[in-house]
Amino acid sequence: MAHFIQQLADKIKGAISRSSTQDGIDVKEKFERFKKVLECNQKALEIIADMGEKLSGDYLFDRHYIETSFDELSETVLKCVHRLNTLCENRYKDLYEIYERIYDRLLQVLKGRDDRHGPPVILLHEINKSQFPIIGGKALHLARIINDLEFPVPKGFVITTRAYHDIIFFNGLEDSLERLERLLGSHSATDEEIEKLRAMLERSIMTLRPTRQLLEEIELALSHLADAGQEVRRFAIRSSAREEDMDFSFAGQFKTVLNVKGSAMEIFDAYKTVIASLFSKHVIEYRRTVLEGEGQMSIAAICQVMIDAKSSGVLYTTDPLNAASDNMVIVGNWGQGEAVVDGKMPADSFLLSKKDGLKIIDKEIADKTEALYLADKGGLERRTLPKQLQHRACLTDEQLLELARMGIKLENYFKHPQDVEWALDPDDRLLILQSRALLIKRDSGIDRSLLDLEKKYTVISSGEGLTAQQGIGYGPVKIVKNIRQIDDIPDGAVLVSPRDSSVFVRAMKKVSAIVTEVGTPVSHMATICRELGVPCLVNVTGILSKLKDGMEVTVDAEERKIYKGKVKELLVYRSCQSMNVFASSDFRLLRRLLNEIARLNLIDPLIEEFRMDRCETYHDILRFIHEKAVQELIELGKDEKKLLKGHLTKRLELSIPTGILCLDLGGGVSEDAPEDYCEFQHIVSIPFRALLKGMLTPGVWHTEIMDISLRDMVTSMINAPKDAIDGQYSGHNVAIITKEYMNLSLRFGYHFNIVDAYCSDYPRDNHIYFRFLGGATDITKRSRRARLIAEILRAYDMNVKTKGDVVTARMGNMPRQEMERVLEILGRLIGFTRQLDVHMESDSSIQLYLDAFLTENYEVVRS
Amino acid sequence: MADKESVTTLVIIDDEPIVGRRLKQVFTKMGYNVEIFTNPIEAVDYMRDNPFDIVVTDFKMEEIDGMEVLRKAKEFNQDSRVIIITGYAKPETAKEAFKNGVFDFMVKPFRLEELKNAVNRAAKT
Repeated sequence: MAHFIQQLADKIKGAISRSSTQDGIDVKEKFERFKKVLECNQKALEIIADMGEKLSGDYLFDRHYIETSFDELSETVLKCVHRLNTLCENRYKDLYEIYERIYDRLLQVLKGRDDRHGPPVILLHEINKSQFPIIGGKALHLARIINDLEFPVPKGFVITTRAYHDIIFFNGLEDSLERLERLLGSHSATDEEIEKLRAMLERSIMTLRPTRQLLEEIELALSHLADAGQEVRRFAIRSSAREEDMDFSFAGQFKTVLNVKGSAMEIFDAYKTVIASLFSKHVIEYRRTVLEGEGQMSIAAICQVMIDAKSSGVLYTTDPLNAASDNMVIVGNWGQGEAVVDGKMPADSFLLSKKDGLKIIDKEIADKTEALYLADKGGLERRTLPKQLQHRACLTDEQLLELARMGIKLENYFKHPQDVEWALDPDDRLLILQSRALLIKRDSGIDRSLLDLEKKYTVISSGEGLTAQQGIGYGPVKIVKNIRQIDDIPDGAVLVSPRDSSVFVRAMKKVSAIVTEVGTPVSHMATICRELGVPCLVNVTGILSKLKDGMEVTVDAEERKIYKGKVKELLVYRSCQSMNVFASSDFRLLRRLLNEIARLNLIDPLIEEFRMDRCETYHDILRFIHEKAVQELIELGKDEKKLLKGHLTKRLELSIPTGILCLDLGGGVSEDAPEDYCEFQHIVSIPFRALLKGMLTPGVWHTEIMDISLRDMVTSMINAPKDAIDGQYSGHNVAIITKEYMNLSLRFGYHFNIVDAYCSDYPRDNHIYFRFLGGATDITKRSRRARLIAEILRAYDMNVKTKGDVVTARMGNMPRQEMERVLEILGRLIGFTRQLDVHMESDSSIQLYLDAFLTENYEVVRS
Repeated sequence: MADKESVTTLVIIDDEPIVGRRLKQVFTKMGYNVEIFTNPIEAVDYMRDNPFDIVVTDFKMEEIDGMEVLRKAKEFNQDSRVIIITGYAKPETAKEAFKNGVFDFMVKPFRLEELKNAVNRAAKT
């Protein structure tokens, strides 16, 4: 009998140990697979950061680099999809298709064919920046002026390159077009071959037939622009080529058609004239010699309502004859601006000074005998001016100053002197018609003048720091140490700060340059500087001690030099080139490609719809994969018993009651920790240690149960998740860690925090993601707390989003020390805000607790 | 840095016109006299008949490759220093280039700073 029981006992023991071993393998295997997903994800993000860095302007690279990086990245992203499915038992199979879709789209960009997708017609006021490939530079420029600067611009719409390709195809010209593009890129093509094909295409374009769809789209756009009861409007049709500078350096070579009647057919006819100019002798010659190898080129057209202007003209935000001066020039005449631009009729000329406030310093009123006006039958006509207007200034002093002020804003926004076309409408409203980089003719003297600047000017800093975006900026220093100073930055200032911060995005349209003491060329801030062309020098050690507010400096981000005062030679040099005139086609290709790869649409599961089908870029896929992988492990973490049994996790014993379970995937906990628990001293994981340090800061963690009002109590009972008990911890706090990675989900009854971070010695690999939601009280108080948390996070330079009671924040690509610093702050924040919503009686509470936190006065919560 | 009395002549060869223009800008700012070419054959013709000190050349080009440019440059001026820049790095190519007397062999992508340093070093020798 004993023998039989023994056997039975053995069998049962065997069965138990087998099942626990099996469970052990399952969980361990999951960990391994999770690590593999993480590894792959990191690699992909690193490649993306690497590509981004190449766009700082400081690098020489070629198409080969772009192609190999793209291949490597694509392979890595596919691997990530694969590894996620391995981890999650193929639950995300559909992600493969999403990946394919994105891969194909990117391939189109690589081939230069990304100008074929999207709507054929878009209203100017509805353009979004991602549509750049199909609307061209001039249209993008206008869209930015309308959206970012909110200046009055005549309404209109764009006929995109998508429409262009549709029409070409519809009229059977695709083959001829491709043949021409091949010839233009080939060294062996003869002049005759090219000329023959060119002439044929130019003729054919003039007889193009429109598609019905295009006419309908144009009609629709026209109806949006129509004024009730007004007669048919008149339009100006202008070219908008792929690259701004191509457009502007082609200046005048692409045709413009003015005063076209607002009917679909007439607009289409004018449109044909504009696109035919893409095949003029002049342009083809330019494409052949200067844009060698550029190959494909398409063109969009901007159709804008024509203003029956009282007066119009141009504004140079910097005197073209003296680029280093503080002067601006306005030239104008009555009627339409063409009279001024052409220079064929006498026009008024005004000189203004920006020094010490805006003033008019000189006026030359011309003897204006004639002006151009809109003709009834279309186009423009000359009219003799009535006597009283001939010697009158075409703009009043007030109008001059208003126009000049807009000019200054434009110059600061585009970080370059501007050549602006303006018009005064019948209601005396000033409108901006166009604004482009003012280009002054180069002469060899300019380059020579840049030698030995160090001998002529005081050098504040030389060779320090890293170029995030090249360019030259000049203005008064404004040192920004906290977020509240952002709105006080003067126009044209040089923003100087202790570290890179996403918050500076707000100021970017005003500042002339950004300099930081700690930072990297791959931070979020640096990336935006590149997008907006803000000259930016980061990581300039010790710069804060060398500068004072109000000090005038000139920053040469490319050469990594900061000079005291105004370096005239550099400003003149800047005026001789537009931002991109030396950007090769490879540079522009990388920029377009990266935009489609790195743009993030999916940011947070709780703020927007975090669905697979909303993934539009590789970055979205990576974000999705990361989130789902983490979710998978957290599910595992819910089964505490399972985890503890296999000794795969350890309870983290801290002086504060958090009940965290540590899932160490390798290198997170030191070897000398006991078997089933560990303490703060045993935590080796870099990010987790930093976070814990913050949480353990004396005074930060409030252990008393707060006095809650009856009302709050009732609300909390309605809101509370099922397992909440008196606001105390009850299970499910899991920290997944490795030496450099952590993912912590922390729940205290009514609050839910997630911190996901990667912190290593390589800034490019680093990121922090923080999400907070919840509270025991009603939505108003919870939202207030969310806003408080958002303010605190912004004060520490994180990129923050909120919605109701949910707050998410991100920071990435910063050096290890910076990441640790922020993690510590997050730790303190978690403790500090635990039961704060109870105290969020009114909006002023937000300011109170914000100040308290920022001054480390954590005790204020108790009072 | 170039000596003010005798200006160093730099010949730059790259089939992408904008690269040449950009580098010309950068190096003229530093005091060099710069001649740019998109066609290596034209560059070789120039070097045959004109004095030059340093050559910066792309490797993979249509008419003749960087190695041939290197040989010609050395033939016309054995004291010239040639820097090859390329997006395709093969150890054999680099080896052969050094055998043929190349001063430096740089693989894209690289920081402009590195090319400037290489040229400055070449100017000093």
